[in-house]
Amino acid sequence: MNFWRDIKGTLQPFWITLGYLFKKPVTIQYPEEKRTPPPRYRARIVLTRNPDGSERCVACQLCSAACPVDCISMQAAEAEDGRRYAAWFRINFARCIFCGLCAEACPTMAIQTTPDYEICNRDVLKLVQEKEDLLIDGCGKDDEYNYYEHSGVGVANERGGNEDEYGPVDPKALLP
Amino acid sequence: MNEMLITLILILVKLGLIFGVVLSMAAYLVLAERKILGRMQMRYGPNRVGPGGMIQPLCDVIKLITKEDFVPARSDKWIFLFAPGLTALTALLSFAVVPFSPPLTLFGREIPMVVCDLHIGLLYLFGLSSLAVYGVVLGGWASNSKYSLLGAMRGLAQMLSYELALGLSLIPVVMTAKSFSLTEIVMAQSTWPNILQHPLAFIIFMISITAESKRTPFDMPEAENEIVAGFHTEYSGMRFGLFFVGEYINLIVIGAMTTVFFLGGWHGPFLPPVVWFIGKVLFVAFLFIWARGSMPRPRYDQLLRFGWKVLIPLALLNVVITGAIRLAMNS
Amino acid sequence: MPKLTIDNLEVTVPEGTNVLEAARELDIVIPHFCYHEALGAVGSCRLCAMMFVDGPVTGLQMACMVEAQDGMVVSSTDPDAIELREHVIEWAMTNHPHDCPVCDEGGECQLQEMTVAGGHGVRRYNGKKCTFTNQDLGPFVQQEMNRCITCYRCVRTYRDYCGGTDYGVFGSRNRIQYGRFQEGTLESPFSGNIIDACPTGVLTSKPFRFKTRLWDLQEAPSICPHCSLGCATIPGGRYREVQRVKAGINRETHGFFICDRGRFGYDHVNHQERPRQARVDGQPVAVAAALTAARERVAGMAREHGPNSIAFLGSSRASFEGSVLLRDWAAATGSQQLVYEAHQGRDHAARTLAARLGEHGRSLEDLRQSDLIVLFGADPLAEGPMLALAIRQAVRNGGKVIVIDPRPVELPCAASHLPLAMERLTDVLTALAQKDLHAFDNHEHAFLENLSEQFDSAQRPVLIGGADLLGGKGVDALCSTAAQLSSAECAVGVMTMLAGPNSYGGALLAGDGPDFDTILDAIQEGTIRALVCLESDPFREAMDPSRAQAALGHLELLVSFDATPGLAAQRADIFLPTRANAEMAGSYMNNEGRLQAFQAVIDPGLPISETGAGNHPPREFFQTTPGSAPEADWWLLAELLERDTTLAALRKTIEQSDECFVGLSAIDAESTGLRFSAQGSLPPAAEQDLLQTGVTDALKLLAITGPVGSHWLAHLSSPLAATQPKPYVVLHPEQAEKLGLSAGDRARLTTHFGHCHVVIRTDEKMVNGLILAPQLWDTALEGMVPGSMLDCQLEKEGKA
Repeated sequence: MNFWRDIKGTLQPFWITLGYLFKKPVTIQYPEEKRTPPPRYRARIVLTRNPDGSERCVACQLCSAACPVDCISMQAAEAEDGRRYAAWFRINFARCIFCGLCAEACPTMAIQTTPDYEICNRDVLKLVQEKEDLLIDGCGKDDEYNYYEHSGVGVANERGGNEDEYGPVDPKALLP
Repeated sequence: MNEMLITLILILVKLGLIFGVVLSMAAYLVLAERKILGRMQMRYGPNRVGPGGMIQPLCDVIKLITKEDFVPARSDKWIFLFAPGLTALTALLSFAVVPFSPPLTLFGREIPMVVCDLHIGLLYLFGLSSLAVYGVVLGGWASNSKYSLLGAMRGLAQMLSYELALGLSLIPVVMTAKSFSLTEIVMAQSTWPNILQHPLAFIIFMISITAESKRTPFDMPEAENEIVAGFHTEYSGMRFGLFFVGEYINLIVIGAMTTVFFLGGWHGPFLPPVVWFIGKVLFVAFLFIWARGSMPRPRYDQLLRFGWKVLIPLALLNVVITGAIRLAMNS
Repeated sequence: MPKLTIDNLEVTVPEGTNVLEAARELDIVIPHFCYHEALGAVGSCRLCAMMFVDGPVTGLQMACMVEAQDGMVVSSTDPDAIELREHVIEWAMTNHPHDCPVCDEGGECQLQEMTVAGGHGVRRYNGKKCTFTNQDLGPFVQQEMNRCITCYRCVRTYRDYCGGTDYGVFGSRNRIQYGRFQEGTLESPFSGNIIDACPTGVLTSKPFRFKTRLWDLQEAPSICPHCSLGCATIPGGRYREVQRVKAGINRETHGFFICDRGRFGYDHVNHQERPRQARVDGQPVAVAAALTAARERVAGMAREHGPNSIAFLGSSRASFEGSVLLRDWAAATGSQQLVYEAHQGRDHAARTLAARLGEHGRSLEDLRQSDLIVLFGADPLAEGPMLALAIRQAVRNGGKVIVIDPRPVELPCAASHLPLAMERLTDVLTALAQKDLHAFDNHEHAFLENLSEQFDSAQRPVLIGGADLLGGKGVDALCSTAAQLSSAECAVGVMTMLAGPNSYGGALLAGDGPDFDTILDAIQEGTIRALVCLESDPFREAMDPSRAQAALGHLELLVSFDATPGLAAQRADIFLPTRANAEMAGSYMNNEGRLQAFQAVIDPGLPISETGAGNHPPREFFQTTPGSAPEADWWLLAELLERDTTLAALRKTIEQSDECFVGLSAIDAESTGLRFSAQGSLPPAAEQDLLQTGVTDALKLLAITGPVGSHWLAHLSSPLAATQPKPYVVLHPEQAEKLGLSAGDRARLTTHFGHCHVVIRTDEKMVNGLILAPQLWDTALEGMVPGSMLDCQLEKEGKA
């Protein structure tokens, strides 16, 4: 009976595809119709700020190390209060594949992905975005975390003044 | 002198008509195929350029023409440049013998609606389809690429194998018409189309011609998930375009051949013969697109085994049986 | 030779090896913090625990503290050992802050690696963490005490190995703090080594602070270009800029550590004024056009005025391959006027050394094993600091050090010092060789008598000389003395501090050609009309810069190849930019004749910090990297001579043409280098009298090499330039008193260069009756070419 099965198997697909020919397509007609991506969608990358409004990014380069296409580059610098920050920070969206590994690698919650996926541009240089283009006025997904309040480097608070730290020791003290 | 000039002008007019109609049909068949396939997969297909995507073929042509014409290093340059033309050329030449309407009478002059009604039209068609394999083989060979070469080898083997079955499947048709002339064959079907007389031959013909023209599901020479794009991997720009257009002209040729051999040519009630002819051609083209949307690609060895072990014996059997029946009927 | 079993593998190691090293022989890595090959074992970090299953020692022991013995069966994978290591890591991490993202050690952090390797992923201790106050340790070292895991490596490096005294450990329990008693700049010239030694981020480099993550750094083995010792270094670069240097390892030469000059003297590569564009007659042109111009004009000059109208001046900074090609160019032109050093004294010293060193050559490793070291006119901290460190190791091993020098030679170890005028150094050498000390008075006689006796009992004595003060004659005397004092049982070694990294190589190639002063004479006479300078700046390096500048004004054609903004580069008719040491592959021959290869770290180009002016790089597209024209000196010369321009082919050709350099093409930057048996020729005899004539009642001034600021490349490096002192002179306190001066006074120094303002320093270890003035680049003391003796006047201008 294999023969009949084969005949059936050859003809049935024609019937099915013919049926589909008269169904309504599921395509969303993009520029006219738009979908709302889920809130954790990975599209445009932004740099967020601490709850106190200061920049979160400490230019630790973990995002650029994690980036599989090497589209992030930056230069770290030291501010007067000892804070490490990005003197410049550049993301080449023309190269970005929106994998979100940078956001996963970020220890300070600075770099985050947003659902804004409409980045296309005919001018490649407009896709190369600098820190001033990337920085937003807000905390993004976590509105409480401030890296320097846990780091041990006396930047957000005095040295040894963070919640999980004792004050600086006096090595010359004689008490046991 | 005057007679000859008029004949010449008529031939040129017919040529121009065929060229225009066939090329624009080929272009729109591309669009039709993309849209029909799209709808079969619950998509729209191209719908952005012009109303319903109607200007898409024009855009494709502009794109192909303006693209870089790339010639790979260490390729056989002249053959590489020449091969795509061969494909399109053989496909176009086939139309010389295809009759698309009964002869017209204009100003007292009978004009055959075929460029050249050869006595051996059918053999001419076969000859051209054999030559078409050169486009594939030379293009694949000259590209100096392993994928191209693999594709060309597959194409060669496949087209040679299926040409036998193809030829054998048409012998009953020739028996019926008692002629190799395509016009005669159409005339012979004025009452019954051949498809009803020779259903088995029709099936063998359809399978073989699909393989012969490298259409899905028998598109092993360009199986993109195995060998990139097969024999035309290295082609770009309008040279790729020529391969592409050649394939769709071929689709029309196949449609015309099927119509002429099996579907009764221009014969049909109520409507003018040309409309019947074109309608039948388009229907066959739709059948091929439909098959592309429905059938998966078999393996290369399965294809060859089927050709040699099933189709050819079957076609031979068909010839013998048809011959026997005709003998019995005549005696 | 004990034979032991580690993780079921047998290994035989030399006597005295500890088990940790024995495991390393088998490529088994035992985690450790406090152990260091050069520093030895103290067993304080408790991380290298291994289970001793069978043999003379059993139980859980620290691998670094147990000497390998026959029959030991050791397991590094024992569950008990692994558990102990896990706990040790967890303890080390209890107070370690959560600041890896802002820590410069990230990527090279041993603590990070050990934490991951030890499997400590989740913090169980929820208590508060200790914090510490940091100290400002000066311009080189950045401290972040919170990260400390108290392994003691820094103190052992700084105090024990390098002989520093101003850094130590304070406190007890978890209050242990490393640092100075009071905040301030670290005094040791080897302070940078604690950066390499620290296994975590407590001590990091200040000039490199926050510059680059270590995984982004391009690194390659290189050779330090700052002195003639040829220490192995690993420069790191990023964004077209050399950003740091860390010590490489070469057990034959410097060992594991390098001096601060080598470590922080990388910035000359990125110097803002570095010429990066080829020029012909002041017009910027492509390198190819400048090469054609150089080839044609030199050939034209040779046709018109004879081949000897062109002089070729090499340099101790140029690579060995480039120096060979310069010789080939001179030979192709037909010119005999080829010299590799503009400074006459250094030239004669190097050539004499290359001719006479032979079997007396000693490496720094030999020096560390030596039991008697005598320095004649050599000031290691100024001329090659790693020599001082090698001498210190000799002293730690029980050796003795004797210094005979007009200068107050400081060493990081105990040494007896005899101040003696420069002219008399040669006499001392001759007298020692002949054991005839009657020409010396009481104090000196006793000192030399004692020295002579020590020679008799020494097993591995080494004589160390300095090119600046000894000159050709002195080095000749040094080698003769060594030869005469040597006996069948005891060979006396010689080491001489030369001018630069390839001085010895240049000296080998120079043959018995004229010295640069002779060439200057010929230029003044008009017989030499063209000068080709390969990475040298005769306007500033010649013995008498003013005479050189006057003479060089007569030149019709000056061709300069250079990577630094020197005067020759500025004034050249044809200028070709060369690559700095860190940007090219090549080799240098150090002062013992050891040829060592180096590799390119980065490609040349204007640093991104400059093209972007501190902000992001320009948003423009360029076809080529800006400032990327410089090519390696050997590449330029090979192109000019129409030779094959690959280094491998070049080395093959040199091997084929010079039998004594066989082995050159097999040389490898990771190896310890190769000593060739090649011997140079002595320089022409005439050596000019160094003493300048002048007013009769004038004071005598000796120009010397200072520890900081006298070295051209180091001077161009911003981290070091920041520590360059203001112009100063050093006097004996008695003489200062006679002149009515005291330490710290401001004074006016008058020489034949003119007037300048200096600060007075005094030192009683120096010879009385002499004023020492260090050469300091880009100050009024720039013309004080080391080794030259000038007449001067010193007037007090103000109090301290």
